[in-house]
Amino acid sequence: MKNRRWGVYVPFALNELKRNLAYKGSFYLFILCSCFGAFISYYLWMAIYGSSETGILGGLTRNEMILYVFMTYVTGNLVNVEIVGYMENDVREGAVVMNLIKPIDYRLSLISKALGCVGYRFLAPSIFVWIGLEIYKAAVMGMNVISIGNALLYLVSTLFSVLIYQLFDFCFGLMAFVTTYMFGLKMAKNALISFLTGQLIPISFFPEIFQRIFDFLPFSSMLYTPVMIYLGKYTGEALAVVLLRQVIWIVVLYGLGTFLWQRITKRLIVLGG
Amino acid sequence: MEIEVRNVSKEFVSPKKYPGLKGAVKGLFSNEKVRKMAVEDISFSIEQGEIVGYIGSNGAGKSTTIKMLTGILEPTRGECLVHGINPSKERKKNAQNIGVVFGQRTQLWWDLPLSESFTILKEIYNVSDDEYKAQMKFLNQVLELEEFFTRPVRNLSLGQRMRADLGAALLHNPKVLYLDEPTIGLDLVVKDNIRKAIREINEKYRTTVVLTTHDIEDIEELCSRIIIIDDGRKIYDGSLAELKEKYGVTRKVTMEVKNIKEALQVDLSSLLKVPKEAYQITAEMGTNSVEIAFDKHCLGISEVIAQYMQHTEVRDIQIQETELSEIVKVIYRHGMEQENKQEEGMVS
Amino acid sequence: MKEIKRYARLYKVFVAQFFKYIVQSKVDFLLGLMGFFLTQAAGIAFLYLVFEQIPALADWTLPQLIFIYGFAQIPRGIDHLFTDNIWLVAWNYIVNGQFDRYMLRPMNLFFQVICEKLQPDALGELLVGTILLIVSLSNGVVTIGGTKVLLLVVSMIAGAVIYTSVKLLFASFAFWMKISGPVLYTAYQLADFAKYPTEIYAKGIRFIITWVIPFAFVAYLPASYFLKPQVSPWSTIGVECILAVVGFGIAYGVFYFGTKAYESAGN
Repeated sequence: MKNRRWGVYVPFALNELKRNLAYKGSFYLFILCSCFGAFISYYLWMAIYGSSETGILGGLTRNEMILYVFMTYVTGNLVNVEIVGYMENDVREGAVVMNLIKPIDYRLSLISKALGCVGYRFLAPSIFVWIGLEIYKAAVMGMNVISIGNALLYLVSTLFSVLIYQLFDFCFGLMAFVTTYMFGLKMAKNALISFLTGQLIPISFFPEIFQRIFDFLPFSSMLYTPVMIYLGKYTGEALAVVLLRQVIWIVVLYGLGTFLWQRITKRLIVLGG
Repeated sequence: MEIEVRNVSKEFVSPKKYPGLKGAVKGLFSNEKVRKMAVEDISFSIEQGEIVGYIGSNGAGKSTTIKMLTGILEPTRGECLVHGINPSKERKKNAQNIGVVFGQRTQLWWDLPLSESFTILKEIYNVSDDEYKAQMKFLNQVLELEEFFTRPVRNLSLGQRMRADLGAALLHNPKVLYLDEPTIGLDLVVKDNIRKAIREINEKYRTTVVLTTHDIEDIEELCSRIIIIDDGRKIYDGSLAELKEKYGVTRKVTMEVKNIKEALQVDLSSLLKVPKEAYQITAEMGTNSVEIAFDKHCLGISEVIAQYMQHTEVRDIQIQETELSEIVKVIYRHGMEQENKQEEGMVS
Repeated sequence: MKEIKRYARLYKVFVAQFFKYIVQSKVDFLLGLMGFFLTQAAGIAFLYLVFEQIPALADWTLPQLIFIYGFAQIPRGIDHLFTDNIWLVAWNYIVNGQFDRYMLRPMNLFFQVICEKLQPDALGELLVGTILLIVSLSNGVVTIGGTKVLLLVVSMIAGAVIYTSVKLLFASFAFWMKISGPVLYTAYQLADFAKYPTEIYAKGIRFIITWVIPFAFVAYLPASYFLKPQVSPWSTIGVECILAVVGFGIAYGVFYFGTKAYESAGN
């Protein structure tokens, strides 16, 4: 019985994966070009380190910054799958009401879809960029490749990040029920996400006081945490704390989403008559 | 000659798709192409003022032909001429002469009030103020656009939208009007209005109309002539009456009776002196009904009903004409047979 | 002449719609502006945080970088305002067959595509760009007057044309690919390279953004003319204008051949 319950959501993930693979012309180009942002960051940081006298900025050495930039890309690629886009569509086409009738959980169906997309992005290109980076590390930087234990920790933390992002995005996406114009809001969200998750600049560059505040927000758990775990910046107790923080955010955002969803569907039913 | 189609073919080439998830991955690395002939060597010509029904099953090539006549698609081989203009070579010039309605998709501006759409079309087709006024008056008469003229297009009902689309296609008083399933999804009253409007426009301006449809009533009420295509080839071109006379010979009467056993004892062949092969009887015990299918050249419908009414108690009667789609099937089979014969002929 | 008047009359109808839209949907409009301001604010905050750590970046000071950053916004905003509908060609119109409706009308296809929509969100870019330019002027980072004002205007327009050309070229690929959105998106993203001095990049990248998809000529190179007295206007703004003309010619040609290869939908 339990098996069947989860089995319901598998097609959502598989369909999304297939849909993404369908346009092969764009497939190759998308892989090639999606790295641009990472390369801009890379060159910018290299110039910044070139202009700096100390060689350590925000607690990161030049080599660590290279790893930070590309692992942020690898991780961000997996994490930033916007389910708000699906939701907008469903609201516009009235598919949400159809989903209310079906015996499936709407949020789970969305997250399954998103996981299908994450799966696709893991293959193209995250895993290859990661492998390339490990080779670069060993061959050029003279560093050790990542240990299996650390890699597993990174993957677990990334999975948490994916869930946090999607649970957050679900709450955000509920705005689509209130306003039909999501463009501006999405842009604002993306600006905040890229700034507060460490995508644009490592959180260690922020003034102390901001870093304290960020500890109480979910954003650093969406990207910064797995990347810093990858860099080996957390050990022992600190590692446990950041992972626990991720778990707490999953629980909190899950609860918040459930609460908001109930209120909104109640309203939908009233409106729908 | 208003429309000339000479040996036109259209071929589409697309990358091969494989089924399933494995297929999606395989597709990434394959370069195989699939060629599909959507239209194959079609020729016909249409006179000014004719209303022609262009019919065939889904994917038969109807829309592809229309799209070549409107200049959207360029034929792979052959040539079309519409009012003396080759639509794909002189798209803009052709566009000024034609009006098009796609039943499935509006060509109006979704978010703008209908009135704005007409203002825009007035500029696009370079309609002078006087012409605009006169034509709007006429369109309002036949399509009654006024009741929703100020509403945004997205808020119109399907029927209203179709009237609006038809009006928009006619604003510049085109010489040729193409209608791709103009009554799809509409209720009977609206269908009737749309048909009436098409007839009036055709009568007033001698507008040539080419119409694709699945609805036999559209054809019966509007078209003097039909062209049938199947699998990209033309299989019939002629009048509707002739088509029915030739192929639509079977009629069906379904009668609900009180006592089905009694009804089955009615022997039409001896009562009406016709051979047993002239008709076929099927009985359904559950609903107490008998269905009689017969050749209308051998038996009259009233004779059949009269015999039954005499011999048993009939509660309800339904008479069905042969559906156009069935006729098309018959013709298709017929066409195949002829082709086979021709091939055999060539061999011997 | 009569033709031009007809096109102008049509355009006027859409411009009127644009103003009507802004008046009617103030909230949406403001939300769009806010989103845009936040994005740009994040970009500037990034520079501030970095300059906490270093005095100058490859010979450029923070105020100079902010001028380049602001300068980049304006041509981008102009293009965004007038030709945003090109995106829909890349993503939707061809794969859905909605491009049919343009083919059915006796008007230039490119004009039909762009006239249908003016994008209010672009006002955010124009506003941020203008504010940053004013800040730079009042800082004394740049001084302009006389011919420099004219060159500024010319450069902004030529830059917008380069943006349009890139969009049109990559959107036209959809005539063969059905959806060219991802490709267009990535090409458009290349513009982000041009927000910073291009000498920080490797030679290959510098070549691409200077001569292949010449976004360097949209922002960094013309901006540097205003910042550094030794830079010649001919090698920056002059070349920018030539690239705009040639680039648009190529893009329009590809678009034209694309419309001939258009296959509509449903086959």
